[in-house]
Amino acid sequence: MPAMTQIVVRDTPVDLLRDGSGPPLLFLHGAGAGGRWLTFQERLAARFDVVAPSHPGHGASPAAEWIEHISDLAFHYLDLLDTLGLARVHVVGASFGGWIAAELATMASPRLRSLTLIDPVGIKVEGWIYPFLFGMELPELVATVFHNPMSALALAPPDMSIDTLAILYRQNTALARVAWNPYLYNPLLRRRLARIATPTLLCWGAHDRLAPLVCAEAWRKEIPGAALRVFEASGHVPHLEEPDAVAAAVIEFCADRGEAR
Amino acid sequence: MKFYYFHLMPYVLDHDEPSSWVTFSNAHYDPAVGHTLYHQYLDQLEYAEHLGWDGICVNEHHQNCYGTMPSPNVMAAMLVRRTSRAKIAILGNGLPLRENPLRIAEEIAMLDVVSGGRIVSGFVRGIGAEYYSTAVNPTHSRERFYEAADLILRAWTEPGPFPFDGRFYRYPFVNPWPRPLQRPHPPVWCPSQGSSETVEWAAQRRFPYLMVFTPLKRIAQIYGEYREACQRHGYTASPYQLTVNLPIVVAENDRKAETIARRHAMWVYHVGLRMRPPYWQPPGYTTEASLRRLLATRGKMPTELTYEDLEDGGYIICGSPATVRDKLRVFSDELKAGIVCSGMNGGSHEATLEMMQLFSEEVMPHFREDAAVDETVGIGR
Repeated sequence: MPAMTQIVVRDTPVDLLRDGSGPPLLFLHGAGAGGRWLTFQERLAARFDVVAPSHPGHGASPAAEWIEHISDLAFHYLDLLDTLGLARVHVVGASFGGWIAAELATMASPRLRSLTLIDPVGIKVEGWIYPFLFGMELPELVATVFHNPMSALALAPPDMSIDTLAILYRQNTALARVAWNPYLYNPLLRRRLARIATPTLLCWGAHDRLAPLVCAEAWRKEIPGAALRVFEASGHVPHLEEPDAVAAAVIEFCADRGEAR
Repeated sequence: MKFYYFHLMPYVLDHDEPSSWVTFSNAHYDPAVGHTLYHQYLDQLEYAEHLGWDGICVNEHHQNCYGTMPSPNVMAAMLVRRTSRAKIAILGNGLPLRENPLRIAEEIAMLDVVSGGRIVSGFVRGIGAEYYSTAVNPTHSRERFYEAADLILRAWTEPGPFPFDGRFYRYPFVNPWPRPLQRPHPPVWCPSQGSSETVEWAAQRRFPYLMVFTPLKRIAQIYGEYREACQRHGYTASPYQLTVNLPIVVAENDRKAETIARRHAMWVYHVGLRMRPPYWQPPGYTTEASLRRLLATRGKMPTELTYEDLEDGGYIICGSPATVRDKLRVFSDELKAGIVCSGMNGGSHEATLEMMQLFSEEVMPHFREDAAVDETVGIGR
């Protein structure tokens, strides 16, 4: 695992993991995965310069009171790219991070070399209402998010100390600020997805119970030319459940467009 | 000491679901039973005035069997015309739970005018579960509470129309008709469970602080913090700013009272307050500092409390009239609480009415040194 570094993005401190070499790739993590460097990032680092910040209030990044809306997070990451001097990057976002990545792509598509969304949330899909994770206890949460519950161990908290519980509460709070109501989506985003002019790969777990395949179809319909890859042994988090296969899909997708090393 | 009769209006039933809140299906609610219960409960509140209670209390809770009063103002409206003397304390309206809190200013003003100035207006945030049942973002709870309170107080006291431009609530014209009868406005109470932020906020505004279902030791500690905060703001707290809400069970003798309490008071804790752990603390509802304090003390969940915990911890008062008098002395003489809000449950409507009568005859008269004082003069405003 690379060393954690702290940078400041327009007065907002951000903890960052960065490793690998090749074209820069911004990885936006899902809820509960801040500050983690897992197999998926490791595989990508073989081909890319992987930049993995923790969202404000997640991992070791302090909460930022100014963030009130999901678009604030997207602008925050545009600021982060400016701070790091990265003109054009690959962007990979998972779940909540996929939502941020999609918002960002609607704003600044030309700055993206490619966009990979892994089981993103963020849009309203007819006939589907996302199950309310905030009300779930751990067993139900794991059963909703993971197809293979053993993969959840990668995100297990180190202990149940007051500090750990306070950090989990802070992460949930940061998520709730932008995602409690409307729950896990921005009503304005769906129509804007047509603005994404970047080659886009959708990676989806076949057994996602939070955002099932009907959601994938909606995303594919809205983003021009988006490709969809389905991972048969995964639930909502294929990059944790089948990290090698998903990393290979990202690398292949970028290579086909001459964008990987 | 002043006595207020408190009601939750529970829908009492036993069940094995993990939560009596939010997800406990309303298929379990039988409106025909509810019809009988509402009338019995309203009769009890009206009877309390008849027996000499100083005030009667209603309160707001949503989507549960613990308390079936989602709109306390509706209940208060029923009581206003059926009573003539008692204060009617609405403990609370959950300010942040409303999308249009100006409506609260209007409804309370209506009740105050019709009742001839008998309304006490509680301001609460609502408990954690209510952020699940109303979908209001809990990370906005505290800020919405302060902003709505500011709006309502201004609406009651400043001549309208004026514009209000907050973060959550915005009005080009604030100009509610009617205005409240009490000047400058109905007394405001803060029912709470002791968060230091609320203690400070209430003390600064001279709003009475009401401890709800809290053990004696913690009440003493929070009262201390509240009195200190009042001193810091340049005044000494009146006893009528220190209020407590706890169930009282009184019977001919201790043994009979304990039998009743074991059967009926325990339901509130073991069933009524049973909920999934996430519902207690939705994200952002509590500040991180308060959360850490809470985790460090790690009190028992309501469902883990035994009868002995309730009895020894002073969560409830239970016994013969003599025993109840002795226990109440702790509140009046040691804690120097000026107002006790208490509900009673004898196990049936008739038994509850009998218990109320026994209390009014054998207990209340012993605490009437302040009979001539109006507990709302200069308080809560």
